Amino acid sequence: MDPQPEPVSYICGDCGMENTLKPGDVIQCRECGYRILYKKRTRRIIQYEAR
Amino acid sequence: MECASFRDQWNATFILAEEDHTLANALRFTLNQDPQVIFCGYSIPHPSDAQVNVRVQTTEKVARDVLKDAGQHLMLRCQHIRGTFDKAVDNFRTKNPPDDHPSQNMDSD
Amino acid sequence: MSDFDSEAMADAGVENPKLPPHLELRRTRVLCKADAPTSTDTVQYSGAYASLGVDNSLRFDDFRNNFRVQVNRISHEDMEFDMVGVDPSIANALRRILLAELPTMAIEKVLIANNTSVVQDEVLAHRLGLIPIKVDPRLFDYLSENDTSNEKNTIVFKLHVRCAERGQRLTATSNELTWLPKGSELLKTSESLTSTSKPETYTSFTCSQDSMPEFAGNPISVYPDIIIAKLGFGQEIELEAHAVKGVGKTHAKWSPVATCWYRMLPEVVLTEEIEGKKAELLKQKCPANVFEIEDLADGRKRATVARPRACTLCRECIRDGDDWEKRVSLRRVKDHFIFTIESTGALPPEVLFTEAVKILEDKCERVISDLS
Repeated sequence: MDPQPEPVSYICGDCGMENTLKPGDVIQCRECGYRILYKKRTRRIIQYEAR
Repeated sequence: MECASFRDQWNATFILAEEDHTLANALRFTLNQDPQVIFCGYSIPHPSDAQVNVRVQTTEKVARDVLKDAGQHLMLRCQHIRGTFDKAVDNFRTKNPPDDHPSQNMDSD
Repeated sequence: MSDFDSEAMADAGVENPKLPPHLELRRTRVLCKADAPTSTDTVQYSGAYASLGVDNSLRFDDFRNNFRVQVNRISHEDMEFDMVGVDPSIANALRRILLAELPTMAIEKVLIANNTSVVQDEVLAHRLGLIPIKVDPRLFDYLSENDTSNEKNTIVFKLHVRCAERGQRLTATSNELTWLPKGSELLKTSESLTSTSKPETYTSFTCSQDSMPEFAGNPISVYPDIIIAKLGFGQEIELEAHAVKGVGKTHAKWSPVATCWYRMLPEVVLTEEIEGKKAELLKQKCPANVFEIEDLADGRKRATVARPRACTLCRECIRDGDDWEKRVSLRRVKDHFIFTIESTGALPPEVLFTEAVKILEDKCERVISDLS
């Protein structure tokens, strides 16, 4: 259904390295092997009230 | 400003919108020192409403004019306070010349 | 204007008689006894002493003659001065105005493009809001609800920091906030993008703020060295902060003072001679070191009040039984205020005070014009 699943960037929870994963990839940092990766946040602008 | 006087002009309650203790207490003080005033007090009916009720009861002059006088008197005092304060600051500055006073270039007036 | 003075004086015709000393003391001083302070109220009513033939009404001339100000200390961010001859209601009105009704500029809107730091967006926004901005608020207008942000009501800052070094921590401070005199640089992503030729930003400045004479060569800055966030490797913050004009009663971030307070002048009176051992004891009792020992010619020692201003009214000196309370009288002068203003840096403290008085004048003027 979906055309081509885009690769998504993640940040390693340990070393901070940027990792690009496709569906099916092992969830692991290529740099240090740490298994907790965080999804990068949206670049969409979010407005907050400074209160 | 709303003025609620039910019976006569010498006993009136004034409603000051968008005011609080800051002005009301200073006004009450000024009013109380006027010999025309029999009674003066203020209240804030509800803390969520920005409103104060000032009660003024007077002898000869009508309450409205007495309150106006009080406002004028308070303003005169303020002007005197400001003048005296500015003079005191200038005085201090001449006695203690600032070596490097960053606030000086911020004084636009 | 009408003058109550002349009316009050008309029937008296002679000089106002003085109050008896014990009443005068209670009128002008707070007496601090071991258990509680007494005569704490100020006598405002004009006829309070009418039965004694003493007129307590307001006299502007008296006020003018008695009122004085003495500055003790001024720096660019704080000052202390003595204000003498004024009622607490006026001193308090000025203090309240300084805290809550003098406008300043503060960050109100934060547009976050990216934040991968451990500080949550809303916490980050709140922290930014509290940073004092060093700019004269009198040069700006209020931004009302239906207004668009323009160069007269908004100051835009940009913050873009990233920790690029492996194994390092980066501390983002307020120094990294850069002023954008031309307004927002972030583009609005809207559906109407195709229709408009020029992409829209979050502000609509008609000219650059640094072309205004007030800011030419005097860029707007914020209070330096305030830590905003700490970033680990790879973490990044990219945002824009929009500062607008406001007052302290809306939110404390707009308060132009760190704090502002006054205290009444302490007065310490020794009602009898305190000599020898007792004098030593009295000096020792006081934690604020108010008392000093004076050597008399014949070798005796006597206690004196050397630093009454240092007295914190802890009442240590009058605690041990009635004797001490009889020997030492602790008082406060009701119409003498030691006023301290600590500015946050937007305006120097002496300007803050004059502006506060002007606001009180405006309030009076509004009452007068409403009644006219």
